[in-house]
Amino acid sequence: MIIDDSRAMRSILRRIVAGLHFETLEAGNGQEALDLFEAGEVPDLCLVDWNMPVMDGYTFITQVRANRDWRCVIKMTATTESEQGQIVKALAAGAHEYVIKPFTPDAIVEKLELLGLVPQEDVA
Amino acid sequence: MTLAPEVTDVQAIVEQVWSSFLGEEEPLLPRLAEPGQFAADEAWSAAVSISGGWDATVTVELSAPVALSLTRTMLGLDDIDDAEDGDVADAVGELVNMVGGNVKSLMPGPSVLSLPAVAAGRAAHPSGAAEIARFDGIWAGEPVRVAVHAIPQP
Amino acid sequence: MTISSSSFNLIAALVRRETAMVYETGKEYLVEARLTPLATAAGCPDVDSYVARVSTDLVERRKALDALTINETSWFRDQTPYQAFTDSILPRLLESRAATRRLRIWSAACSSGQEAYSIAMLLDQHLPPGWTAEILATDVSTAMLERVRTGRYSQVEMNRGLPATTLVRYFTRASTEWEVSPELRRTVRTQHLNLADAYAFTSVGTYDVVLLRNVLIYFDQATKYDILRRMRPHVAPDGFLLLGSSETTLDMPADVAALWSREQLGRVQAHRPAVAVPLASSTRIGA
Repeated sequence: MIIDDSRAMRSILRRIVAGLHFETLEAGNGQEALDLFEAGEVPDLCLVDWNMPVMDGYTFITQVRANRDWRCVIKMTATTESEQGQIVKALAAGAHEYVIKPFTPDAIVEKLELLGLVPQEDVA
Repeated sequence: MTLAPEVTDVQAIVEQVWSSFLGEEEPLLPRLAEPGQFAADEAWSAAVSISGGWDATVTVELSAPVALSLTRTMLGLDDIDDAEDGDVADAVGELVNMVGGNVKSLMPGPSVLSLPAVAAGRAAHPSGAAEIARFDGIWAGEPVRVAVHAIPQP
Repeated sequence: MTISSSSFNLIAALVRRETAMVYETGKEYLVEARLTPLATAAGCPDVDSYVARVSTDLVERRKALDALTINETSWFRDQTPYQAFTDSILPRLLESRAATRRLRIWSAACSSGQEAYSIAMLLDQHLPPGWTAEILATDVSTAMLERVRTGRYSQVEMNRGLPATTLVRYFTRASTEWEVSPELRRTVRTQHLNLADAYAFTSVGTYDVVLLRNVLIYFDQATKYDILRRMRPHVAPDGFLLLGSSETTLDMPADVAALWSREQLGRVQAHRPAVAVPLASSTRIGA
């Protein structure tokens, strides 16, 4: 699930992730994403932007972690927030990985490899 | 005395954003340009403001061909002719969001980044705002400008 | 700025002569991309005129060579060799070096240092107290060695292959970049070394682990084989040589192949110094 208020960013991430044979869902903010979760659409992986209207990435991640049914969802933050404190805060809240914008497609792929979501032989 | 980001840092940010998303097609190169009106017949611009620990506005100006190439790449459009205003606005808005977000992380915080505002045209700044940093670049022969403005502190 | 084929051939020949690195036809765009910023900085109107300048200007020549020998790299590149290091190599060395409790690692084409620092991070995490490790990082590019010493990497570089928890543990922000911690930087020593130089290794000792990854591909065959010959005495008899994931010694001439035996460690093939045995005319030696 790609959670970002920027249509351009959702488009970029969707294409990268679709290239790895993932099915994708999209949401424009944390609340929309949670609504999808509640409706039964729980993904294996969330790519979460930090700064979003209605519900931001931090709140979203905290909420997902607090719900026992959703604990195994892997959460990776993709954001321009690149201060050390922010990264530590995200990891403490339950993010499994953190990508700083701007990122190259390779960076996303490598992070997914680190998370064990991509078998290495699949990647060119 | 308004705190300003180093121009070399602004340049580094713009180059990184550029090379991540416009890949190895063509490098974005610095060019010498006079301050003042952005030199392009048709341009797109976008602005994002930073407020809190540090207050400033970051603007991006692109000539129309650059804006269209950027849009095509970011949105994965096969044909540039398919790009509508909304598409270009989304792409250019995301560009200024990334540049602005990275500039914000260089400066004293905590601050928040506004949503981007995009216009079909070059940027205009209020008379009270002073330019505190600027990077002029050239990509595939077309001009690109990133500027940081702030209201001078008394 | 489009480079002419004669300029391209000239610069490719220069690079090959100085570094044995090969730029084949088809890579003109890469040469252009890497030389254009230097051409602009030097005030040359195009890359062709810059190439002409490089022939006579030693300072520009050094800069051009540095720019053209940049390799792309990331943290814990390809992952599996680092996994093998932690799971197989290190435990074995901890046993075999118990007397000295000292490990020596050589990153033999270190580029900007991500390989050397990746190993340094693993050692920090896995080396027991009382043990020391030295990491030698060598490269043909003086600009790259300076980068290793400075230990600063861009956001884009930090995104590649580095778990976020490791990032915050070993790096701090420095303007737009991230800087390696002083503790980690202290474990890495840099030295200028041209792998293609027949006498280069005389200044290098023996190492428990040598990483020679993704650099042999830039050399012509003769140089490649020569490097592998000259490398053999610099790997401890029970040491390990790690090549790039797609690199192998399988297609080497017999005398080179005889110097190395291959051992599978997890998903990685490591090269071990083969026991020295006189070579009969058509006998293949080695595991």
